[in-house]
Amino acid sequence: MRLALNVFQWLLLILAAPLAHGIIAQAKARLQRRRGASIWRPYADIAKLFRKEDLVPPSASWVFRVTPLVLFGAMASAAAFVPVVQGSALLASRGDFFLFVYLLALGRFFLSLGAMDGGCAFGGMGASREALISSLAEAPLLLGLVAVAILASHADIAGMVGWTLQQNFFKISAVHILAFLSLGMAVLAETGRMPVDNPTTHLELTMIHEGMVLEYSGPSLALVEWASAIKLHAMLALLIALFAPWGMAPHVSAAPLLVALLVYFVKVGALMALLAVIESSVAKLRMYLVPGFIGVASAMSALAVIFATLVKR
Amino acid sequence: MGLVEIAAGKVLSSFSAFLFLTILLLAVARRISTCVLLFSLQSAIIAAEVFAVGFQERLAEAYVVGALVFLIKVVAIPYAFFRLMERLKTVREVKAATTPTQSAFIAVAMIFLSYAAVHSYGQSVHVPADALAAAVALILTGAFLMVSCRKALMQMLGLLVMENGIFLAALVTTFGMPLVIEIGVFFDVLMGLLLMGIFAFRIRDTFEHLDVSRLRRLRG
Amino acid sequence: MILLLPLVIALLAPALILTLRDPRAATRAAMFAGGLEAVSLFAIVWQVHTHGALEAGRYFRADGLSSIFLFNIAFISSLVLVYASGYLSHTGEGRFSSPRWFYALVFLFLFTMISVCLSADLGLMWIMMEGTTLASALLVGFYNTKGAVEAGWKYLVVCTVGIAFALFGTIVLYLAAFKAGMNPAAALDWVSLMDAVSRKGFDPHLLKLAFVFVMVGYGTKIGLVPMHSWLPDAHAEAPTPISALLSAVLLNCAVYALLRYVAIVSRGVGPAFPHTLLLIFGLASMMAAGLLILVQRNLKRLMAYSSIEHMGIIAVGLGLGSPLALFGALLHIFNHSVVKSLLFFSAGNVRQNFDTLRMESISGMAQTLPQTSAALVIGCVAIAGLPPFSLFVSEFAILSAAFSEGHYLVAGIFLAVLSIVLGGLAHHLFHLLGGEPKRLPARAKLSPSEYTVMGIAALCLLFFGARIPYLFDALLNQAAAVLR
Repeated sequence: MRLALNVFQWLLLILAAPLAHGIIAQAKARLQRRRGASIWRPYADIAKLFRKEDLVPPSASWVFRVTPLVLFGAMASAAAFVPVVQGSALLASRGDFFLFVYLLALGRFFLSLGAMDGGCAFGGMGASREALISSLAEAPLLLGLVAVAILASHADIAGMVGWTLQQNFFKISAVHILAFLSLGMAVLAETGRMPVDNPTTHLELTMIHEGMVLEYSGPSLALVEWASAIKLHAMLALLIALFAPWGMAPHVSAAPLLVALLVYFVKVGALMALLAVIESSVAKLRMYLVPGFIGVASAMSALAVIFATLVKR
Repeated sequence: MGLVEIAAGKVLSSFSAFLFLTILLLAVARRISTCVLLFSLQSAIIAAEVFAVGFQERLAEAYVVGALVFLIKVVAIPYAFFRLMERLKTVREVKAATTPTQSAFIAVAMIFLSYAAVHSYGQSVHVPADALAAAVALILTGAFLMVSCRKALMQMLGLLVMENGIFLAALVTTFGMPLVIEIGVFFDVLMGLLLMGIFAFRIRDTFEHLDVSRLRRLRG
Repeated sequence: MILLLPLVIALLAPALILTLRDPRAATRAAMFAGGLEAVSLFAIVWQVHTHGALEAGRYFRADGLSSIFLFNIAFISSLVLVYASGYLSHTGEGRFSSPRWFYALVFLFLFTMISVCLSADLGLMWIMMEGTTLASALLVGFYNTKGAVEAGWKYLVVCTVGIAFALFGTIVLYLAAFKAGMNPAAALDWVSLMDAVSRKGFDPHLLKLAFVFVMVGYGTKIGLVPMHSWLPDAHAEAPTPISALLSAVLLNCAVYALLRYVAIVSRGVGPAFPHTLLLIFGLASMMAAGLLILVQRNLKRLMAYSSIEHMGIIAVGLGLGSPLALFGALLHIFNHSVVKSLLFFSAGNVRQNFDTLRMESISGMAQTLPQTSAALVIGCVAIAGLPPFSLFVSEFAILSAAFSEGHYLVAGIFLAVLSIVLGGLAHHLFHLLGGEPKRLPARAKLSPSEYTVMGIAALCLLFFGARIPYLFDALLNQAAAVLR
């Protein structure tokens, strides 16, 4: 029963991912007083892309061909660690948040290599920028998770979620505030959202993530787009699970699970609306200011770790 | 009233977390108006703390002091700052000597230092370590703002943050000093700010800029 | 009630002065008020001497220690006010925004300083100490030139930060009193604190922490190194009467405030800790100021550094701790203020005549300004500590106390710095007075007011150098008794 539930959670994260992109786009459109595309549009796009032909640059090697598969595989595996409606996940194990972070890193690594392999100038530029941002953003991502892990005395994400579920909602802890803020900023940097990167830009010189995927087409592009959607969805689900998990089902039975599912949709919807508001209100940072932005996140996460150790002493 | 009691207890136990957040944000903020708003927020948190202490310890004086803190530091002083910035027509950026990342890490180091300092005096004073550490961190942050920011307005703000820290230290250790002294201290702070404002105008008129690090004619 | 009289006069005088439009009427009102002020202060001193400590309400008190400082304020402020009337009348149009505001601010400044010396409550003392900074900031920046504005800003910011540290120290002391079980309402009252600290057990860590912060805080106002950065600028750029008030009165008030804390902490944790700190800061001030005197180029800045050096001497005297050293330090406070006023008055005259204070552009003063040169020579000889002037007596007292206590290193540094300062002053003096005159003065003779006050000051130095008047001696002994 638990296995079925975990598989369901995993598939939910993967299959509902394009919907996340669609909802955010729709929210942004509404904020800009446009009607915007339907929230199911990304599904239509992916389906269309699967029907199209896969074009590969003649100078590309096996790295270019294999990148979309590795990327999708890594993101999908990462999604298996995140609890959604109940305090357990498909691949939960001790120390799994390190695995989570490095699966994301694996995907990014291959994406950068594939971009450079494709021979496009913008790909190379995007890859070098991505390397800078991701190497800096790894610190707050890991440290934020470490801070929560120290506080929860659990080394797996599912365990941390379980611990947080038992806490009193009104007991605001400095560690959690700081970790939430720093993880939020790291998520913005990792998933290439504003103010680090503009996902809807059409100016190639300003692209980071979009520049890396310029050369892909057909099913490869579909996989890459889907993988980035899974990454965003999984990280949002991780934020919700770690910092606001109340509403999750305490044990595996039908009614609480349904309630938990509804609560999850509300929460992730709220988070996506927040993301849309942020995207619509801040301007993209110039490239040399991005390390400052991530540096602030690193300082916050370092402080969170210090506080966590102080609390635990 | 149960709800007010819960609120008072909540404020007392978690306000230091928010103060640390304002300290971090003050260190990395890049516009003077952001810093002034953060100061206003900080003072609001401290005013809430004063009210909570007054409620718990049944001190009538605390309500008066809390109202003073709110009126003066949350409303009047930020308003005066914004008016001053308008009339000075000064550049709105905080020209800090350190980049935001460096300032953020310095702020973290200062918070760590304040915990260390409070820990070594912990046996002499029986107060929650968080609150006193927040007070010491505020004092250190004020000093840091005064030293690293080169604009006259930021030095005034740094002084105000230091004053906040000292006030908070008095509050958490002794539930405040006698009322007359508190009022006198407020009055002094206000007059000091008034005079600094006058001098800021004079600096701008005689030097054509407000960058105090460029006031280096008198040396040796 | 007599205690409140000088405060009331000092508050009413600005109101009166500001309502008078005519500058001459304002000046006369100021002189009148200053005379009343001095008389009331002398009356308080006499009362305390004959009848013991006076009190007025919960917050004001005058005892043996305050009477010395009140005497100092009365004497110097009357000299300065008389000098200022002459100085202002000879200053050109447009230099001053208005003599009315000048006198009004001076009286506000006096009000805050007298309140510091009269407060019985440490919190009120802090408030008034901060008040002195606020009242004098506009006076320092009075000329509104670039130098004056910069000096005024630095003065305001550095002193306010320093005083904030002193506030923290006061809070820690309050905490220590609170924890020892004192009644919160009386926990900042000096007399109650002196009484309680010997009976109840105050936490020594807290007392030491409080003293460190108070030392740094009030030490900033005293001008001890390394918190002295505001002093040379402020004293050099302020109008001359204000420089004299700052150097001769304000620094002493700050010493008074520090002394109150030294007394409490010495009773609480023993005299070793506060005295060690005083010695360290005092010697540092002496050494730094003594060396920097050699390289000064501005006359008033030179005198400001000399003030720092002498504050260092006073701190060393207080830090040595023996009755003789204490006597010497308290006497030195008075002597230094007299000679510093004399020096600043001469510098003011130099400024008015040559329109500059840069020593390299002045020479041959002995020929062009004979009277001012005489005053300058008297002042420099006195401040270097040579007999027959009074500073010799006080410095000798401190030095012999150092030797008799066995602080040979302290005495050695003391003597070395004094010699260096003597050499530096002689060098500057020879440059100023000797050689051919480079500039001609605007007016060679001193005006009656200037003549009078400088003469009084010089005579006072000689007189006190010969023998300390019995009355003053009694005052000093009373003050020392309060501290023990």
